[in-house]
Amino acid sequence: MYPPKFGYVIPDSLGEATEFLEQHEDAKALAGGHSLIPMLKLRIIRPSYLVELKGLKELHFLSREGGKIRIGALTTHYEILKSGIPLLSEAASTVADPQVRNMGTIGGVISHLDPAADYPASLIAMDAVVRIKGRKGVREESFKDFAKDMFTPDLSPGELVTEVVVPDFNGYSFSYKKLERRAGDFAIVGVAVLLKKEGGVVKDVRIGLTAVNNKAVRADEAEKMLLDASPDEKLIEKVSEKAMEYANPTSDIRGTAEYKKKMVKVMTKRALLDALKR
Amino acid sequence: MKLFEKDQKVKITLKVNGKPYETEVEPRRLLVHVLRELGFTGVHVGCDTSNCGACTVIMDGKSVKSCTLLAVEANNSEITTVEGLAQDGNLHPVQEAFWEKHALQCGYCTPGMIMQSVWLLKENPNPTEEEIREGISGNLCRCTGYQNIVEAIKTAAERLRLNQPLYQRR
Repeated sequence: MYPPKFGYVIPDSLGEATEFLEQHEDAKALAGGHSLIPMLKLRIIRPSYLVELKGLKELHFLSREGGKIRIGALTTHYEILKSGIPLLSEAASTVADPQVRNMGTIGGVISHLDPAADYPASLIAMDAVVRIKGRKGVREESFKDFAKDMFTPDLSPGELVTEVVVPDFNGYSFSYKKLERRAGDFAIVGVAVLLKKEGGVVKDVRIGLTAVNNKAVRADEAEKMLLDASPDEKLIEKVSEKAMEYANPTSDIRGTAEYKKKMVKVMTKRALLDALKR
Repeated sequence: MKLFEKDQKVKITLKVNGKPYETEVEPRRLLVHVLRELGFTGVHVGCDTSNCGACTVIMDGKSVKSCTLLAVEANNSEITTVEGLAQDGNLHPVQEAFWEKHALQCGYCTPGMIMQSVWLLKENPNPTEEEIREGISGNLCRCTGYQNIVEAIKTAAERLRLNQPLYQRR
């Protein structure tokens, strides 16, 4: 399979890249390319130009400051899984396979915004912030607002994600549980849990779901049931059942809607039990 | 800024197995095809959809699927293919282990499997069986059934750690 013909642009700066992308609305930014190149080969998209981002060093960094972790858009999944970020590193370790993790980037994932991607469950649970640069300047959006709908990030022509910022969640236990049909596949159901306990009592909990809606969601009511409680098996069962109400999956090659919904309960329970015992 | 139109050829330089190559490619050309045209036919086109890993090479120290990379992206990079592993006529320890442990039948997945194993053992010289299986989860074999491949990687890991060749060099 060959991609269709396209022009190729190698910008010298981020400013040049955003300017070119603004002037050419049918151009596409190329980060790791592990969603973009398959789409080209399948002729799902036919961009006029690809704009190579890999040379823009200002998009490739990972730093910790003041309780926050700043992750540059070009940080690869392998780099994230190696950097010990609570929850997010665990999610990174489940993305596709090692070769893909060596190329794929977090900025690419959230700009593409596949509804079955792994990171969104964690990013929504972590209250991640997305930093975006366009010609008009820099702006910040919560990941929740940034993810407008499936494959629909809040990006205007010429805007690029430059970094993702997450709190460091010191003292939290966490778990990401992914149900997949075969190793390296997209999630059928993905559940991310962040949890803080003090003296056996839950003081903060976040439950993020991916792959079972157009975009990742928080199971708010399920979270509330756990707050200030000392969770036992019975409560976890009820909480997991509540989380199921937040799933509105569609039937596809990976399973029926009914099956996926039931699996939300199973995976939520597994993620909670795993986080609680860590 | 450099701009190339869709029919324009781009001059690229690749260092493959230690030797520099210069070639001209269309922007849409995939790295796997360029490597094969340069004579590195150990780089196999398998599924062509970034699932099977037969096209795996090591680029600037990272294992990558060369069917999902543009040749222009690889400009100025250093690439190792399976042809670059043997030194002075002696097979690489991973190659030797694949031979000794019968880790192949048809051999189609083998170059990719070996390149991924080389990268895996560089990142993790003492992997558990689970880490090995996870480490080659991006490479599909349709005939050996993985058991002997995992055995070979375990053996290679041991030999590499002890810095011992499998066989007495002839």
